[in-house]
Amino acid sequence: MPSNRLPTGGRINRNQPVRFKFNGKSYEGFEGDTLASALIANGVSITARSFKYHRPRGIVGHGVEEPATLVELAGANASGNVPATTVSLHEGLSARSVNCWPSASLDLGATNQLISKFIPAGFYYKTFKWPNWHWYEPSIRKAAGLAAAPTHPPASGHFEARHAHADILIAGAGPAGLMAALIAGRSGARVFLVDEGTEAGGSLLNRALLIEGRPAMEWVADAVAELAQMDNVTHLQDSTVWAYREHNLLMVNERSPQNPSVIERSWRVRAGQVICATGAIERMLVFANNDRPGVMMASSAQAYVNRYAALPGKQAVVFTNNNSAYAAAADMHAAGVEIKAIIDSRKTIPKDALACVSGIKIHAGHVVQTTKGHRSVRGVVVAPIDGGRRFTVSCDLLAQSGGWNPAVHLFSQSRGTVRYDETLASFVPDQPAQRTHSAGAANGDITLDSALSSGAKAALAALNETGEMHQTANVPTGQDTPYGITPLWQVDAKGTKSKAFLDIQNDVSVDDVHLALREGYDNIEHVKRYTTGGMGIDQGKTGNINIIGVVAQQKDLPLQDVGATTFRAPYTPVSFGAIGGIREDSVLFPYRHTPITAWNHDQGAFMYEAGARWRRPGYFPRPSESFQETVNRECRAVRESVGVYDGSPLGTFELKGRDTGKFLDFIYTNVMSSLKPGQGRYGLMLSDDGLIIDDGVTLRLDDHRWLLSTSTGHADAINQHMEKLLQTEFPDWEVMITTVTSQWNNATVCGPNARKTVEALGTDIDLSPDNFPFMSFREGTVAGLAARIVRVSFTGELSYEINVAPRDMLTLWERIMKAGKPHGILPVGSEASHVLRVEKGFLSLGHEVDGTADAYDLNMGWIMSKKKPDYLGKRSVELRRRGTAVRRELVGLVPDDPNHQIPEGAPLTPGGKKQKTEGLTTACVWSVMNDRWVALALLENGHSRHGETAHVRLKDGVIPAKITAPVFHDPDGILLRS
Amino acid sequence: MSYNIHIQRQEISALFDLKGPSEALQEWAGKHLPVFPSHPNSKTIKDEMELSFIGRNHWILRAPLSQEQSLAGRLMPESCPSDISIVRISDTLTFFGISGPDAPEVMAIACPLDLHASVFLEGMITYSEVFGIKALVSHYDGGFEFAVEQSFGDMIVDYLNRAIT
Repeated sequence: MPSNRLPTGGRINRNQPVRFKFNGKSYEGFEGDTLASALIANGVSITARSFKYHRPRGIVGHGVEEPATLVELAGANASGNVPATTVSLHEGLSARSVNCWPSASLDLGATNQLISKFIPAGFYYKTFKWPNWHWYEPSIRKAAGLAAAPTHPPASGHFEARHAHADILIAGAGPAGLMAALIAGRSGARVFLVDEGTEAGGSLLNRALLIEGRPAMEWVADAVAELAQMDNVTHLQDSTVWAYREHNLLMVNERSPQNPSVIERSWRVRAGQVICATGAIERMLVFANNDRPGVMMASSAQAYVNRYAALPGKQAVVFTNNNSAYAAAADMHAAGVEIKAIIDSRKTIPKDALACVSGIKIHAGHVVQTTKGHRSVRGVVVAPIDGGRRFTVSCDLLAQSGGWNPAVHLFSQSRGTVRYDETLASFVPDQPAQRTHSAGAANGDITLDSALSSGAKAALAALNETGEMHQTANVPTGQDTPYGITPLWQVDAKGTKSKAFLDIQNDVSVDDVHLALREGYDNIEHVKRYTTGGMGIDQGKTGNINIIGVVAQQKDLPLQDVGATTFRAPYTPVSFGAIGGIREDSVLFPYRHTPITAWNHDQGAFMYEAGARWRRPGYFPRPSESFQETVNRECRAVRESVGVYDGSPLGTFELKGRDTGKFLDFIYTNVMSSLKPGQGRYGLMLSDDGLIIDDGVTLRLDDHRWLLSTSTGHADAINQHMEKLLQTEFPDWEVMITTVTSQWNNATVCGPNARKTVEALGTDIDLSPDNFPFMSFREGTVAGLAARIVRVSFTGELSYEINVAPRDMLTLWERIMKAGKPHGILPVGSEASHVLRVEKGFLSLGHEVDGTADAYDLNMGWIMSKKKPDYLGKRSVELRRRGTAVRRELVGLVPDDPNHQIPEGAPLTPGGKKQKTEGLTTACVWSVMNDRWVALALLENGHSRHGETAHVRLKDGVIPAKITAPVFHDPDGILLRS
Repeated sequence: MSYNIHIQRQEISALFDLKGPSEALQEWAGKHLPVFPSHPNSKTIKDEMELSFIGRNHWILRAPLSQEQSLAGRLMPESCPSDISIVRISDTLTFFGISGPDAPEVMAIACPLDLHASVFLEGMITYSEVFGIKALVSHYDGGFEFAVEQSFGDMIVDYLNRAIT
């Protein structure tokens, strides 16, 4: 039996011993223990080292508020920086303290304490500025830091994220939350009850209270059983509502789902009404050396003896300014802890409190000035609060209580306002910003009776707002000590030089806050940033308000005027995995396939995303072939014989309605309405500021039907663009848009032998150039499949874009490969397509169309209609063109050295000197037609500089290149019209 | 499989996208269609055809693929009046059926919509998202069905396998 384990009692399963390791040493606890309770039961006092000064620390709290003992978990579910109080003990658990070396007991980092005077808050902001903070950052972070993230994913299982909806979400299954859940559940409302503990009950788990004359936990058990019978109630334990977002969207982290393959589950709950029954958190008292191992929250000491049957000490002093610590003292006393004294800063102590602790020595109007001991508490120095004779009381445990702070975190995250309540000496919820109710201690209803009543009241209010009119509910009565407090923000102990901590986790002391104020950081948010008080894993749950209190005292302001810092999500740490859910690995980003994706894989294609989440083949390498050799081979096939590529991802829309021609004339720069059925035309779309947003070919199917194609990457954006115009600018125009991107897949056969290949496929369409000219389309059958062939070209070669239904695409593709085999047909990937379009000087969105260029810059002034009175972007282009600003214009670049590649995006500067850039290289490819590198660039006044030399400035040199027209193959377009 | 469900990636259906005033559509093709649903996000069924009301002046007709050609012949998309639009979109959507006791659980992973039986009644259909992708979701006796743009079909299979493993 461990030395500090009580022989009976507690909510632990003594029939189920659990072995675990802490800092390499083996211990034993019981099922139902936390790591913290098991360590206490085993008499481990130093469990951690502090963040900055590496002071020895022990366990302070018993839940999510724990500021001191963070551990790193090893093994299959490794995790860093977990409060030991929230780690459920399980067989084989292995944990170690963070931020100490070689151990928590003997930590070399403790030498920092020798220079602690010289490293106050913000010292690194001032000290390590020159020459560069980042020089020092690694060593500082190493000296004062937390555990690293795990290096491997969990060995098995996966995270899950799911959605849920509820009429009423209740955060907290303590007395108020359970009461609210019972009433709401009984009404038939859809209730979502979430509690962070492994068991329901909240504070009742740790206290010895009665409800209706019975042990309170019996009432809890009955409530839980009743809720379990309700199909309309979802009840989660070991789960935390960690964020409260807009429109009553709440994020819940479920840490131990029943599904064995799910490690953790994240819920995104949309609730009609929310009840915050999140309880209250006990705060520290501020006095010298209030961080020594053995200094613990009184409620936590109470929890350890009651819930875990573990003694945090054998001789205790209780230091308080409020009534609740008296019940804690009584419970500790009942468990066998010798209460050496109760030190109460109040001069008058309520009778109700006194009644709890008859026979225990009480020093009213006294304070603890400091603790004695080094590695653990050996005693406390006590003095009258108004000054006077000091005396020492020996002890190995100091149970302290500075009062209770309603856990208003969620309420505040919802943008509800908080106000300072003088009676409670804390901030409480004020005006809700959403459909939010607060109940129980979270609402300032600290005692059991008031918590039950306010839980019921909140439930009724929530039900009434959902339309379920309920007036009354039966509320049981609870037995509790009335709450009363006189705030004590810090103990004034003149002559005591030791640090009095406000934030134990970040080693922030009273002196640090004073320093911040002296240096002008007097807004509470600035104090937080300067000192780091209230940051970190615990977010200052036990100390924040003391910082506010100290600031208020120093500035002689009421706390309300100092205000509270902003409460932000997450309330407690959440695994990244839980937030991501199953979205990892192959589904980290969306992806889209065409019907020949599998064929591409079978051919060994190198696949990657090429716009709008489409996975496309980049190139089709052969064994022992280099990347460039592959691309060259594919390019030659198209230039010299025939190639085929999958153009299915191009955005395609069918437009119908009597105003469609008018609409197309508005969104394109050229005239589309004059097209005859069967014809197509290339067009540019501009934004309202006159910049190019997309290009593509529009076909006229018949009088009222048009087929519009967009670039792959902009398909969705252009769809939205068109819909927005129709719904906001032209609601009276009759234009109906249907997305048919995936109704028509296409295989584009291109190259001098394209016609022969398509003929070989077998078609009833006359392919002769006279009857089927460039920029027209025909419908019929190809290879026995219903098809629409379009004569467009993105490669500059004779091309047939054969469109079929996706169900026929693979068949078509395989037949094309067979038909083209005599001509050596090759599949062509995106890389070769890029080369072919650069050789032709065809623009590409994201390259030449970079968000600054207009049509004139790209030698496409011909596409800007002079006939139309107006179109989108026209006025903006005209205004810009009237200006005198120098434009960057599209040119070709031919490096003087034909084997010199220019990196895409490389800047052009005058003479290659270190001067302001005059342009950039938009693309550079090895041209199989020219047997050299060629490039496209946007260059200032480029159109008038053909024949000159431009200079590409790189880190390691300058590449001179001749400026040419931006076309390197078939400048007259004879081939594509052939 | 940790969830007790049955997933079925369905074969292509005959689908026609119908837009325009319902009166005009009924005048042109009403005799070939089920009765037009009276409420948005609902559907009507006639023989093996489903007509779903999925947006303002917007319906989708679904039928077995075997009826595609005959429906195209009757609806005559190419020659219908200018104030209505009928477009064959059979290949654009891939349908998935999710059934079994845990179907709501898996749908909760996939879809942010409130699919509770008291809210999303049987027979209802609406656009929402499935695994972040636009999807047409419907509720039928014993399960759910959703359709995503066909090119996302493999990714949805990938997601579902991850969800149920």
